[in-house]
Amino acid sequence: MKVTGTATLNAPPAKVWAALLDPEVLARIIPGCERLERTGADRYRGTVTAGVASIKGTFVGDVELTDLDPPAGLVLRASGAGAPGTVRADVAVRLADLGDGRTELGYDADAVVGGMVGGVGQRVLVGVARRMAQEFFDRLGSELAGGAPAAAEPRPQAGAAAHPEGAAAVSGRPDAFPGRAPAAPAGGAGEFVRGAVFGAVVALAGVAAGVLAGRRRCG
Amino acid sequence: MTGKMFGAPIPRTEDERLVAGRGRYLDDLGAGAYAAAFVRSPHAHARILDIDVGDALDVDGLVAVYTHDDLRGPMAEPLPLLIPHPAIRDGRTPHALAAEYVHHVGEPVAMVVARDRYVAEDIVERVRVDYEVLPAVVGVAAARRADHVVHPGMSDNVAARLLQEVGDAPAAIAAAPHTLELDLEIERSASTPMEGRGVYARWDAADAMLRMYSSTQTASGVRAAVAAKLELQLGQVEVVVPDVGGGFGVKIVHPWPEEVMVPWAARLLGHDVKWTEDRREHFVAAAHEREQLQRVRVGFDDEGRLLGLDVRIWHDNGAYLPYGVIVPLVTSTQLLGPYRPGAYRVEFDSLYTTTVIVTPYRGAGRPQGVFAMERTMDAIAARLGLDRARVRSVNLIQPDEMPYDQGLVFQDGRPLIYDSGDYPAALAALLDLVGWDDFPAQRERARAEGRRIGIGLACYVEGTGPGPYEGGHVQVETSGRVRVATGLTSQGQGHQTILAQIVADELGVPISDISVTTGDTRRMPYSVGTYASRGAVMSGSAVALAARRLRDKALRIAGDALEADPDDLEIVGGRVRVKGSPASGMDLGTVAVLANPLRYAFDEASRAATQFGGPADFDRPPVAPDDAPGLEGTDFYSPLRCTFASGMHAAIVETDPETAEIRILRYCVVHDCGRLVNPLIVEGQIHGGVAQGVAGALYERMAYDSDGQLLNASFMDFLMPYASEVPAVEIDHLETPSPLNPLGIKGAGEAGVIPGAAVLAAAVEDAEGFPITRMPISPSELFHLRRRFASGEIPPLRARRPAAPAPRPSGQES
Repeated sequence: MKVTGTATLNAPPAKVWAALLDPEVLARIIPGCERLERTGADRYRGTVTAGVASIKGTFVGDVELTDLDPPAGLVLRASGAGAPGTVRADVAVRLADLGDGRTELGYDADAVVGGMVGGVGQRVLVGVARRMAQEFFDRLGSELAGGAPAAAEPRPQAGAAAHPEGAAAVSGRPDAFPGRAPAAPAGGAGEFVRGAVFGAVVALAGVAAGVLAGRRRCG
Repeated sequence: MTGKMFGAPIPRTEDERLVAGRGRYLDDLGAGAYAAAFVRSPHAHARILDIDVGDALDVDGLVAVYTHDDLRGPMAEPLPLLIPHPAIRDGRTPHALAAEYVHHVGEPVAMVVARDRYVAEDIVERVRVDYEVLPAVVGVAAARRADHVVHPGMSDNVAARLLQEVGDAPAAIAAAPHTLELDLEIERSASTPMEGRGVYARWDAADAMLRMYSSTQTASGVRAAVAAKLELQLGQVEVVVPDVGGGFGVKIVHPWPEEVMVPWAARLLGHDVKWTEDRREHFVAAAHEREQLQRVRVGFDDEGRLLGLDVRIWHDNGAYLPYGVIVPLVTSTQLLGPYRPGAYRVEFDSLYTTTVIVTPYRGAGRPQGVFAMERTMDAIAARLGLDRARVRSVNLIQPDEMPYDQGLVFQDGRPLIYDSGDYPAALAALLDLVGWDDFPAQRERARAEGRRIGIGLACYVEGTGPGPYEGGHVQVETSGRVRVATGLTSQGQGHQTILAQIVADELGVPISDISVTTGDTRRMPYSVGTYASRGAVMSGSAVALAARRLRDKALRIAGDALEADPDDLEIVGGRVRVKGSPASGMDLGTVAVLANPLRYAFDEASRAATQFGGPADFDRPPVAPDDAPGLEGTDFYSPLRCTFASGMHAAIVETDPETAEIRILRYCVVHDCGRLVNPLIVEGQIHGGVAQGVAGALYERMAYDSDGQLLNASFMDFLMPYASEVPAVEIDHLETPSPLNPLGIKGAGEAGVIPGAAVLAAAVEDAEGFPITRMPISPSELFHLRRRFASGEIPPLRARRPAAPAPRPSGQES
């Protein structure tokens, strides 16, 4: 089952593409992202603290990136598991040039949420996912506008409540990219941070899974 | 020595516990469970466009929010139509959560689960539902007009239509010397038990077992329905009914949306979940009853004898039809009361409206039927200038006509055949009790004092104790204590007392040695439920039959041990003894020990049952092929058809000449429910029934506006009578045994309420001198009727005002 959504960004596709695939940027803007780590070619592992309603916890997930078509699109295959449950998702991301210096980012997500978090009801999943997606794109917008992390921390919420603002600036390994919470940007040397999109995957997977739970109405 | 318990007016054994606050009601259970609350439709009719929980996500303690989109398989399908009937044209039932449309204010749209109820209610407030509001259909008239239909895909609002006929009523009426036509109306009320509905569910994942508690009138029904919805085997579901604070019919409906959602969520979340209904929810999301329009055409002779009766009924069944056509079916059949109608034709339409569902409430359609028939009797008397009691008298079925076949099909699908009754004796007893013949003098004395009083009477026959069956299980423990179980549930009727009384006599044990369990599928999985005044008839008969089986076995085993013929034994005071020599015998507890041959002793008494414990017959196995270990008996009672109780009420009212306030001066009841198990409990049932009858006649109504909003959905606004408004009830019992069951009993639970509206309408009419055709009646309504009467808009009753010109009693002459 597919779920689609769009966001309009104030930057041309090439810049959006670069930001989306910049591990430093993505580690900062993914809601709840604590850490990103490359585990192989086109494979990444992310740690995201997220949750739905009172079922919260840390997900560890793997992302594989395929069908790269810069700067027009890519496909993410993500799976994550944590105490609250499991997430599997395929997300196709497309960038369309609006011609006026802006880009429309569109996504098609297909996801399954299992375990406890799968029992909270699809409207709750949808609500959380919308919020996380909104937060992701807001931060992406800020990055594109000024390069600095978004100043405004979103209000406390179920989906992204558990990541304290971090100040430390430590990251020794070039293939590990701390998120906003634990660390400041680290050198990443232009590697595609494919796994960095994991947070967005979680968000989008929430959207997808929420609708998927119904299995009748949406599609 | 055990005294005779059957018939003894002993106090209820459950009351010590209940009155001392040691009852365990649904909300007393489930500490630590997640709490459920429901987002309910604020509109009477609407399409759901969107449900957004975004604003609720910040509430600490949120566990889950469910909508119909979360449901799959049987859970996503409509709830069952419990009682299918060929007359149903298009039977609509609700979903557990609204799928696309809502059809009444209060219909559940989303379920919230949270840490506690406070949090759950906070979340309910924050769930945003966008609706496309559709036209409401409120009241019988709007439903009949069908300018708008309630359910998509229907061309009108007629859920069901049923015609029953005996003879050719239109022809009989056409040929009759006198005819009358009456248009009658009766409004909604509701069961309003002190405790609302409630459900608590525990899912044991390791055992794959669901334990469920529900404030219901049917444990076995809930069990089967929930198992089907959750796709569980019946053996995986246990339903236990705790103490229930009243039902009066509303809790026989099952499964309620909440009753399937709570266990569904408990299993999904792996955590206990509980929901306790609040009062507003009970008003807008449970069930109501009573609303009907009726048109009666009747032909009769000079004596007032019925020759033909043609009744058309329009019944408001609310938004859905989960309970089928039971209420209008009961109205259309029980309308006949204790009378021979001549030819009879009755046709009802059961109509959808965008209001709360209508399902049986104590009386279950009978108050409306009795209202129609008794208003007709009074109108005939007025037309002919005859005494109202005399008109009834000439129409009564006589005792020697029993069993009397009315020629119709009753609500249990079986013939409407009255099993027994002595209606002339009941009428004579009532006239005597109320002092009917002395009333004219009393009226004159009152008139001389400037007071206005009136008298009325109303009669009914009530089919009680319908099948298909109930079961009883009786077991004697080795301690001698007796455990009794029946499957139907108890809502405060005193079943624990009366079932113990019955078993005490059947078994010969002291009532203090007997404990009774009701409504627990672990103890008696085969059961139907508590409705239609069937508890005593059905379960009373079943436990009596079970106790008789046990008794036979006890005498057989004791006979072996005592080397006596079982026919020479008796059980007295819990001890089996040889008749005529009380010293030689053994306690029932010892018989219970012997009834279970043992390998292993566990105490002193059990040694007697071990393999080296005593003499044995080596030609027989320890347990015979046709026997079973243990001293217990199980049996089921399944009646041929209903047994028909009856009664007659009379009331004297005073109406204030200025304020039109209506006060009941006397309320007399003659009641025949066959043999009385416990007169104290029967009288309590009558008192409670009369209170609800008075409530429905003078106070209670559901004030829906034209948009389908219930304006009085609280006890601040819903006028329920207090003790100060309920009259002292004078009761005379007749006991005409039923030939249909082993105890000769008939049901008594609903009786008191049935003729309430009819008898009070008759008394007010008698006081005022103009027809009363619409109930309930409030002082302001009576005040306005007086004005219309004074202006000539309402005709007087001919008999009361012989001098009045061109009288037309309560309708058109045809």
